[in-house]
Amino acid sequence: MGPPNAGTGSERPLLSVVDDDESVRESLPDLLREFGFAARAFSSAEEFLSSNCLGETRCLILDIAMPGMTGPELYQELRRRGHEMPIIFITGQRDETMRARLLKQATAGFLLKPFSDGALLDAIKMALQAA
Amino acid sequence: MQEQLEDPAREIRRLERCINDLVSLLALPAIWSGSEPGQIVPMLLDGLLRMLRLDFVYALLNGPAAPEPMDILRVADSCDVKLTPDEIGLRLKEWWFGCDNKVSFPVGRTRFGQEDISLAPVPLGIQGEIGVILAGSGRIDFPLQTESLLLGVAANQASIGLREAMLLVEQKRIADELDRRVAERTAELASANAELSRSEERWRSVFENSAVGVALTDLNGRFLATNPVYQKMLGYSEQELRQLSFLDVTAEESRVSNRMLVEELLSGKHRQFQIEKQYKRKNGGLVWVRNNVSIVTGGEREPRFLMALSEDITQRKQSEEALAKARSELARVAGMTSLGVLTASIAHEVNQPLSGIITNASTCLRMLSADPPNVDGARETAHRTIRDGNRAANVITRLRTLYSKKEPSVESMDLNEAAREVTALSLSELQTGGVILRWELADDLPPVTADRVQLQQVILNLLRNAADAMSTIDDRLRELLIRTERDEENHVRLSVRDSGVGFTGQTGEKIFDPFYTTKTDGMGIGLSISRSIIEAHQGRIWATPNDGAGCTFSFAIPCRPDDAESQVDGPDSITDAA
Repeated sequence: MGPPNAGTGSERPLLSVVDDDESVRESLPDLLREFGFAARAFSSAEEFLSSNCLGETRCLILDIAMPGMTGPELYQELRRRGHEMPIIFITGQRDETMRARLLKQATAGFLLKPFSDGALLDAIKMALQAA
Repeated sequence: MQEQLEDPAREIRRLERCINDLVSLLALPAIWSGSEPGQIVPMLLDGLLRMLRLDFVYALLNGPAAPEPMDILRVADSCDVKLTPDEIGLRLKEWWFGCDNKVSFPVGRTRFGQEDISLAPVPLGIQGEIGVILAGSGRIDFPLQTESLLLGVAANQASIGLREAMLLVEQKRIADELDRRVAERTAELASANAELSRSEERWRSVFENSAVGVALTDLNGRFLATNPVYQKMLGYSEQELRQLSFLDVTAEESRVSNRMLVEELLSGKHRQFQIEKQYKRKNGGLVWVRNNVSIVTGGEREPRFLMALSEDITQRKQSEEALAKARSELARVAGMTSLGVLTASIAHEVNQPLSGIITNASTCLRMLSADPPNVDGARETAHRTIRDGNRAANVITRLRTLYSKKEPSVESMDLNEAAREVTALSLSELQTGGVILRWELADDLPPVTADRVQLQQVILNLLRNAADAMSTIDDRLRELLIRTERDEENHVRLSVRDSGVGFTGQTGEKIFDPFYTTKTDGMGIGLSISRSIIEAHQGRIWATPNDGAGCTFSFAIPCRPDDAESQVDGPDSITDAA
């Protein structure tokens, strides 16, 4: 399903971003809005869990390495709570074994920073279609 | 014989003479006191000869009275008869000893030569066991009653005197025997004492010179004796320790378990125990020891006591503690020197802003191609892009500073401690390689201002090289000596000496070159980096072949970098870090 019209006021799917890096939290939501989505950013897994966006979030864009609860740990916790939204992992660290493992766990996507806007959009589309 | 009573005056005089003679006889034992039998009897016989006007008087003494049987004869000058003791003895035998009745002695007259002699024998001793006196006189009426009385009394006195004399002789004999035995025993004791002395000396020497501390305490723990090693370990003198018990010098936290172990020992549950604990030295310092304590049975006369063999394990404990600390340090060091991890770390730091740049720029383009273009939004993303670009530049500058050799992070450090830490890490590796580790760390090594981690990298490098050099040696000991010392003015030197394959003349020059290696799997950058580190500390690093096998790598750095006006000249060495 393609991005809806920007100005119609009809429902935009919510994408949530969880990353401890400030520049990611600043830049990514704007790009996502240009894609036509609604976006919200959180600085930690704990912040996201204690928000009221869990049910609404259509897709989660999640950093792997974070202080406190890590990305994979948040993924486990969400599944435990019964949330089945697709997850796209983003990370600055190239780690093939982790990538393979996470993909096996049926995450929707895995992107290495820095990624192009095209790659991100493709991953989001695939994630929402699979959902 | 009947006395004639016609002349009373004569009779009285005769009786007076008899009484005088009796008195004389009674005085004899006092005179004889202290004399020997051989002196007593002649004296008596002379007295009798005179008193009774005898022609002769003879005495025969048996065993009890004299050391040997003896006979004595006294003949009056007026006597014409030639007499010998033997002759008389014979007569006596046949006549006196032939009688059955020995108690009453028969008096007889017998012929000696031309003369007839009246004989009066008198037994000495109650049954004549001491001997016999034989008085002989030419007179027919011999012996008169008074004369018999005198003879009887004389014999009695003689018996008393002889008995006393014999007792004295016996006493003397016993005394001599006693002296002899005492002398013998004294000699035996002296010999035994000498032997004991020697043995005691030996054991004393063992005690004094033992390589470990030895302490003996009573069952309450009070010190009885300690050897010099123990005293030195605790910093107390022997006298001071005798006022203390071992719990007094034990650190508080170990006292309870220590006391319990001793109680088990005393109750017989165990014969010995081991304990690792800390002693409190006189100066307040603490020292780790490993004690082996046993209960000693003292023998029949001595009470039991406790014996502790005490070994200073401060070094080992320090190494153990350093090991845990050094492990994490090494992880950090290893992380810093591993190129792969280094790259990843740099990459991660830079990726964050890069990622921001790309995202913001992408957003910017999209905003500008929107209809109408979102210029404000684009401006905002452009700002962020510039900011992220600056961030990336800062990261790179920071990383360059962090990993630059020009500016080590210096602190005042103890080279001995640093060496111990880093060696502790390699300990198991060294032990697996059969390496014997020796230390000669200078006690008076001053602190040095340097980058601790970097110096540890150098030491680790030298240790690894030394171990590798010895890995193929099997005809001699693999010995590794780590030595620190003050060097010149204000420099400290550390040397690592191995007993390995060493190097030849040409090799010596090249080993500090980058990428030179004799190892098939080495990268050859170890010594080159070590040289860079040491030179950054304004020091020198060099290698010298040993007199024996192997070689010694040394580095010397100034205690304070600014104090290095005089560069340390390395010893005459084949190779010199240029």
